[in-house]
Amino acid sequence: MKYFQPQSVDEALEIAHTSEATFLAGGTDLVLHMRTGKVQPLGLIDLGKISVLREIKEIEGSLEIGSMATFAELGKSELVFRKAHALWQACQTMGSPQIRNQATIGGNLGNCSPAADGLPALLALGAEVCLSTKAGNEILPLESLLSRTPLLEQGALIRGFHIPMNGQKSGFAKLGRRKALAIARLSVAVSVQLNGSRTDNVRVALGAVGRRAFLSEALGQELSGQELNNELLEKGVIEVQRIVREALGTRASAPYKRVAVAGVFREALTSIIPEGGQ
Amino acid sequence: MIEIKLVVNEKPYTLNVEPSERLIDALRNRLGLLGTKEGCGEGECGACTIIMDGKTVNSCLVLAAQANGSVLTTIEGVGNRRSPHPVQKAFVEVGAVQCGFCTPGMVLSAKNLLDKNSHPSETEIGIAMSGNLCRCTGYDKILRAVKIAAEEGKQ
Repeated sequence: MKYFQPQSVDEALEIAHTSEATFLAGGTDLVLHMRTGKVQPLGLIDLGKISVLREIKEIEGSLEIGSMATFAELGKSELVFRKAHALWQACQTMGSPQIRNQATIGGNLGNCSPAADGLPALLALGAEVCLSTKAGNEILPLESLLSRTPLLEQGALIRGFHIPMNGQKSGFAKLGRRKALAIARLSVAVSVQLNGSRTDNVRVALGAVGRRAFLSEALGQELSGQELNNELLEKGVIEVQRIVREALGTRASAPYKRVAVAGVFREALTSIIPEGGQ
Repeated sequence: MIEIKLVVNEKPYTLNVEPSERLIDALRNRLGLLGTKEGCGEGECGACTIIMDGKTVNSCLVLAAQANGSVLTTIEGVGNRRSPHPVQKAFVEVGAVQCGFCTPGMVLSAKNLLDKNSHPSETEIGIAMSGNLCRCTGYDKILRAVKIAAEEGKQ
């Protein structure tokens, strides 16, 4: 197996074009999958030395996050705390301090576990993904990318994410068996734009309910254009339970998750609905 | 084989490693630093914790090649019998060690916390130690030892 450590994005794309090697981000999933034999790459392109891919910054009303930003870096960023709160919350509880120091948001998407902690938050926040190949760049909504199989074509690099900064409020909650080091059994992220006291452009995303994290456009529409209060919250609870029931069908976890989602959904909204909920 | 350069416990090394070789294996087998323990081998237990460029990582989830150019601290680089690190001293005083297998990782997580934050709150200590599992003593004595080490540092 060959190992490449490019110093620039162009160099990485050139190697990917000519070598059929796999991109290596933080490695907290890939190193494990290589060991168990689940993944057997022909070569590795380690993106760890390309500093431009680690940047977290604000450009023209958009929050730009490089794919190699770690969960620890995102979880300590003031900008992410203020402008992408759901993502910031997801970064506090993912894995353990050691894993957050190594694991990256781009790797979270590339590995695309059903329980990936970063994806529901990015979906709710309306993130777009920037992909690059030697042929050029492609920018598309995360939900569109997540409907593709395979997720990425050979040689496509996840370069980063654009999150619109439109004053949206957002929240994230997950259910795990313990606080640290727990794979999410269920996660919910919600974002809302407020027009006075009325909701606008509500986006609700679920994780660990099915093969990949997904955005429920129907639920978002249902909850948009209304007074933000506890009544709306309880309406959302009934709807989100129906969505989980439909998504999981006869799976063994369905009876548990369709009940549990009520609490997780309420918790995700606690940072959005003002105290008292009136 | 690929050539990598590392600084481990303040000594520079140039090593030839396999592309799929994990950092824990390079440390233990090539450098003979057996203080770094392999517990679960999948990032759950934190026994293999080391400090890489000022951050704790699980050395079982990092490839040796990824660490190229990095500065590492393993337990061998923290204190010794004659002059133990304040964290090590507190672990002994409180009795925060039973079988000892998790201790190197625990000490490195605690040391890294105190290097960055000399006045941690109980919550901050809890979060910093949350990636290290102990199956013998429970966590009371371990968390107490970190608190004592932090208070010693203040004086």
